[in-house]
Amino acid sequence: MYRFAAVARHNAVLFAREPGPAIGRIVMPLVFVSLLRPLYQAAQGRAAGTTQAVAGTLVLFSLLGMSLVGWAIVTERGWRTLDRLRATPARTIELVAGKAVPVIVLLLAQQAVLIGYAVAVLGLRPANYAMLALAVLGWAVALLGMGSAIGALARSHSELSLVVDTGSVVLGGLAGAMVPLSTMPGWARAAAPASPGYWAMQSISGALDGDTGTALRAIGVLLAIGIAAGAVAAARIARGWRRGHPL
Amino acid sequence: MLVAEGLVKRYGETTALTGFDLTVAPGEIVGLIGHNGAGKTTFVEVVAGLVRPDAGRVTVAGLPPGRAARRRLGVAPQDIALYHSATVRQNLRLFGALAGLRGRALSTSIDEVAEALDLTGLLDRAVGVLSGGQQRRTQAATALLHRPAVLLLDEPTAGADPTTRRALLEVVRQRAADGTAICYTTHYLPELEDLGATIAVARNGRVVARGDRDTLLAGLPGEVLVEFRDGPPQRIATTDPAATLADVLATGRTPVAVDIRRPDLDALYAALEVS
Repeated sequence: MYRFAAVARHNAVLFAREPGPAIGRIVMPLVFVSLLRPLYQAAQGRAAGTTQAVAGTLVLFSLLGMSLVGWAIVTERGWRTLDRLRATPARTIELVAGKAVPVIVLLLAQQAVLIGYAVAVLGLRPANYAMLALAVLGWAVALLGMGSAIGALARSHSELSLVVDTGSVVLGGLAGAMVPLSTMPGWARAAAPASPGYWAMQSISGALDGDTGTALRAIGVLLAIGIAAGAVAAARIARGWRRGHPL
Repeated sequence: MLVAEGLVKRYGETTALTGFDLTVAPGEIVGLIGHNGAGKTTFVEVVAGLVRPDAGRVTVAGLPPGRAARRRLGVAPQDIALYHSATVRQNLRLFGALAGLRGRALSTSIDEVAEALDLTGLLDRAVGVLSGGQQRRTQAATALLHRPAVLLLDEPTAGADPTTRRALLEVVRQRAADGTAICYTTHYLPELEDLGATIAVARNGRVVARGDRDTLLAGLPGEVLVEFRDGPPQRIATTDPAATLADVLATGRTPVAVDIRRPDLDALYAALEVS
């Protein structure tokens, strides 16, 4: 347990020593949602417009927040510290959990701050807070798994940025995070479930609107995505990176 | 004690270890030398549990690779592997804690190792702003914190300045005197002489010679370099410098400078290549 705590504390320290990216990922959505909410309200009405603006912004910027996870892994690969950790007496689960906890906290904080702001300032009234918390947690697990997989597979920081930035816009767009699904072309609506962001929108919108069944089903899909992507990342990380390998 | 027997490791078409045998007794320093690609680093990775051998076995303090063995092992890899944005103290705290140290024991160990390696004044500086030599010392410190029974130091002084080298060698000597089995890979033979190490020579993935320096270099040619006032200098390989010099003087030419060089690592490598 103390080894897990040591890894978690150390990773929290690493984030704290370079807080810029995390602060940016938390502040940007607040600005974005404040500016765009009137547009969504004009198109969809007051309540539905606010829900769309908050859920869409949350999904889009938390997808971009995956870069925090991936960046941390690619950076560690560059520092060659992952192999160093594997050579210690720590169990793999202690290392993985110790690294995951600060990241999950960061991803949850990003979403919690946006939702808190929306409730306090924008008049968002979630129908089911407990379900919303579950939805946010499920989405954070999916983001952690996907971010870890990208971080483990990317060959450089620039490749990571390309994948996360482009992927976030594509997946967020397909999910209906920028434009409501109902207004998108038929092919995009058909392809939407292929985007993890779609299930995040479903779970969060379901929780905000009180549609428990939809939210629970979407949370299940998000957890499955997170576990599958996490397994890919774990398998790649367990193989290590020999000297001379890129990063 | 570190025991490796018949280690084989293949990477696709390449066989990095081809039957690697090495034993390091408690209190012994074995200097593992060899050209790049000889298998030294792969051997270190196998012992550290980072790479699984295709054949052979390795034990650390009598234990097969695994968590229990890693508790008794300290590893300083060849490449600097530290958290650059964290301070020296934060790096040491992490690796010390992972090695099993806690609370006061961890703090005391950090202070002791930092003092021994002249890192005390650097403890609260980020690793990323340190010089290469300071990073080397920090890396070595992470391997020493928990007083492991077996130490693997993979080129710990590569690119290090004389101060760093002296500090590291002194700590290595001290740990060996305390009973630690130390495997020390390097390209610098003088360091091993300094340490009084047993020398193991790796070539093509296996240890091809092992012994103390004098035994290994006995019978190998040294070199006599003679400079003349008139004409180019002469470089003569020889196992008998006195006789060679006498032969030179017998030619009637007058040397202005004579340099007799003992056989060195290059001579050993050359001899092994021929054999």
